[in-house]
Formats: sequence, C-alpha cells, structure tokens
Amino acid sequence: MNQNVTRRAAVAALAGGAGFLAHKAHGQVVWQVNASKCINSRLGETTVEACNLCTSSCVVGLSAVRAVNEHSKCGRCNICPAYFNITSAVDEKGMPSEKLCPRDAITRKPIGKQDPEDPSNNFYEYTIDEEKCDGCGRCVMKCKEPLGLGSITLRVRYDKCVLCNRCAISTACPKDALEQIPLPAALEPGLARRTE
Amino acid sequence: MGVRFHLAAVALLLLLPGEVLAQAIQYTRPVETAPQERTIGGGYKTPAAQKPLPRQYWLQVLDVVLLAGAMAVSAWIVLKKRNRRWLMGLAIFSLVYFGFYREGCVCPIGSIQNVAVALTDPKYSIPLVVIATFFLPLFAALFFGRAFCGGVCALGAMQEVVVLKPVQVPRRLDRVLGLVKYAYLALAIVLAIRPAIARDFVICRFDPFVGFFRKTGEPHMLLIGGVFLVAGMFIGRPYCRWFCPYGALLNWCSRIARRGVSITPHRELDCGLCNEACPYGAIEKMRAIRKDCLYCARCYASCPNEGERAKAKQELVTIGGSAR
Repeated sequence: MNQNVTRRAAVAALAGGAGFLAHKAHGQVVWQVNASKCINSRLGETTVEACNLCTSSCVVGLSAVRAVNEHSKCGRCNICPAYFNITSAVDEKGMPSEKLCPRDAITRKPIGKQDPEDPSNNFYEYTIDEEKCDGCGRCVMKCKEPLGLGSITLRVRYDKCVLCNRCAISTACPKDALEQIPLPAALEPGLARRTE
Repeated sequence: MGVRFHLAAVALLLLLPGEVLAQAIQYTRPVETAPQERTIGGGYKTPAAQKPLPRQYWLQVLDVVLLAGAMAVSAWIVLKKRNRRWLMGLAIFSLVYFGFYREGCVCPIGSIQNVAVALTDPKYSIPLVVIATFFLPLFAALFFGRAFCGGVCALGAMQEVVVLKPVQVPRRLDRVLGLVKYAYLALAIVLAIRPAIARDFVICRFDPFVGFFRKTGEPHMLLIGGVFLVAGMFIGRPYCRWFCPYGALLNWCSRIARRGVSITPHRELDCGLCNEACPYGAIEKMRAIRKDCLYCARCYASCPNEGERAKAKQELVTIGGSAR
C-alpha cells in the first residue's frame, strides 16, 4: 500500500517534469558554420594552408561538414582558383595542369552561350560532389576575395550530422565558427560577405 | 549660376584622385560579380545548392514509438513469456536499430544532460523527442522494473551478446563499484548545467560503445570500449552495473516497481538453485532484486519449478490429445 503511494507520487512527479519541459520545448536547433567567422571563408585571413579541423574532428566517418558552392554567387570563372591549382605549371592550352581538390570532388562544365573564338570567354559551372568532399576547406580558402567571389563555403550536411550535444568541431574550431542556430536560419546560404 | 559651377568643379577635383587610384590598382579577379542566368544565356538555369534537411520528423517520432514498443515487448517476453531466446532476439534488433543504424543517438543515457540543461537554462531548447526518450524508460521502470535494460538499450545489448563465462563478483565489491554510477550521474549533471560556454556533455564524450556503432571514434574511447567488451566476457555487463548514470535513475524507479522478475513461476521453492544463475549479482536470498535486475531472463532456466511448469504444459497437451 505504502509502495503504491510512493509510486503514484513518482509517476506524478515524472509526468509533471515531462509536462513542464514539453511546455517550453520549441523548434529544432542545429549546428551550422558561420561563414563570416570560419577561417577558410572569412575575408582578410590569408593563411596559406586551409584549416583542416572540420575534416579531422567530426565524429562521423566522413565529416558532416562539406564545401557547398552557392551557384547563384559563383563567378563561373574560366580559370577557377578553387578548381585549378593556380600555382601549378601551365599546359599547352594555357591552363593550370593540376587540380586543387585532393579528392577530385569538383566537376567543371561549360554552360550557356559558347564563344567559339575565345574559350576563356565562356562561363563554367563548378559542382562539388558532396559524397566525395570531406570538408578540408582548400577550395573555400581559394574562392574568397580577391581571387574569387566567396561562393564556396563550408556547410553542415544534415543528412550526415548526428546533432551531438556539443559538436566536436565546435570545440576544436579556433574561431568558434560552429554555432547552434534554428534550422530555418541554418539553411540560408552561408556567405562571408553579403553581396546585396 | 557661378556658385553651381564652382561646386561642380570642386566635386570633380575631389573625385579625380579616387578615380585615378582605382585605375592604378588592378584586380586579378576575372569577374566582378556573379554572372546571372541572363548574362550566361543559352537557356541556362542556375541549379540549387545542395542543402539536405535533417532526419524527417516522423522518423524521429518512429524512434520514440519503437523505444516504447521495444520496452513493452521486453516486459512481455521476460514477465509473461519467460523466454531468454526471444529476449536475445529483441536485444539483437535493438543493437542493430538503436545502435548501428541510429548510431547510438538519441539515447536515454545521454538525454539526462539535455533534461538537466533544459531544467536550468531557460534559453535552451530541448526537442520533444529527447523529452520522450528520457521519460519513457523511467515510467516503464515504475511499472515493470528495468525493462529498458533488458533488450532495448543498445549499450546493454552490446554487452549482453558478449557475456561468455561470467564470474560472480564478490557482493561487497559489487556494491562499492555500484556507487560509481551515482558519482558519475552527479558529475554529468554538474558539468552539463554550467553556463553555455563551459558546458560539457561527458556522458556522450565517454560513451564506451558509440565508436563501434559509428565505426569511427577517438582511439582512447575505442580502447576503453574494447576493454569493456573483453571484460564483459567474464564480468557480466560492467558498464550497466557500475557506471551507467541512467542505470542510477532506473535503479531508483524500479525500487517501487509494480511488477518485476520473479524467478519461480508460481510458488517459491527456496531450494537455492538459482543463487548462482545471475551474472549481474541481482539475486539475493533466492529472490531477484528489482533495482539491480537487468531483465536478461537467465535465471528461469535454473529453476526446477520452471521445468515442471513446462512439463506440466506438455502433459496437458498430450492428455488433451489422447482424450480426443
């Protein structure tokens, strides 16, 4: 009998606690990279080597952070500094002979109206294969001003992210660039500098 | 008229050096702004950047439904069906689903921290799924004992499948080691409720098996997990008994459980044959103690009454069969 009373009290207490928490529960918060803090994308950071911490600290196999090219902001350059290793030797067509991505995750294709006289007048579309990319940030580093337009940023992929309580990358990041923000805001394009 | 002309001249003079300077600095960037569809021409359509959404909400709810369902099945198998083989089947399902498929997240053990933070920090947002994950096993424990530990918890299932030749840990040592989980619980709560900047989720960081579930992890955690598994071959479920902070909460709740494992099916024999049957030290004075019983259903096999019950059932069937 006595135990029944205790149990009833315990059930009531737990239900009360659950109810109180449910009352204050609201939308989902997720981790996202703040591009204006990330050392790879923020303007004025001129480190030669890209910071590799997003790749090495994530708890899932291939890091949940990937480079994403926001196509509408992309300069579509002929010699893209994020696609080519622009310091490599120039081949007979006058293009750099090496690619920048160590995992060969970026593909390049000519788009729009073609100029038969001068191919360097053409626009190119650069697509990052999100399954190959491991978020090392090399291309992000090269895409920013003054060479590029900063259309490539590092982003958290939510189909890979396991939403750790304390994101392991956030503890490793020297710039505190990983932030816990509401999901709708986290899906906005991450740009180091707002262009409009 | 003259004033206006002068103003224009002054403005021109002011602007001129700026323009000269701009021409002097040559940007090497090939384009100034992003070319848009109209400039690109040829009917080009700008593709959208990949932005995968998180796991769909109904799938998160499914996790909670499966958690509740698995606990109901666990209680039914152990209390009604009294069958260890079925329980192992459930444990393997949980290991595959909650462990390897869901990669050990969300789990009630870790949710302690989220609940602790949510209770103390008014700005912290806790998802409903996490609230349900935390409270459901506790409610179950109030009614059926630690049904969650039996075949539902992925960490428990991981250790349950490796038990090979368990030794009886001396009761006093068992009890002393059992105190560690309360200290761990207190430490985890204290570290979690610190200000947001200094918050630390130790339970998640020191989860011994999550590295196996994700097939990657820090070397020291994989090592600790390996040690737990090897030790678990000879010492029954060491993490559950001595370290699991959620086990501390379940321990309290199951003390006042409405039902629990009773080794004998209908009447107590007090023969003592079951004394050695429990690898987790949860049999005391020939009775299963609810606060420590991990719902593994091993002890039934040692009870002569259980065999009798099965035999009686069989006889009933044969008599019934021959009478026809």
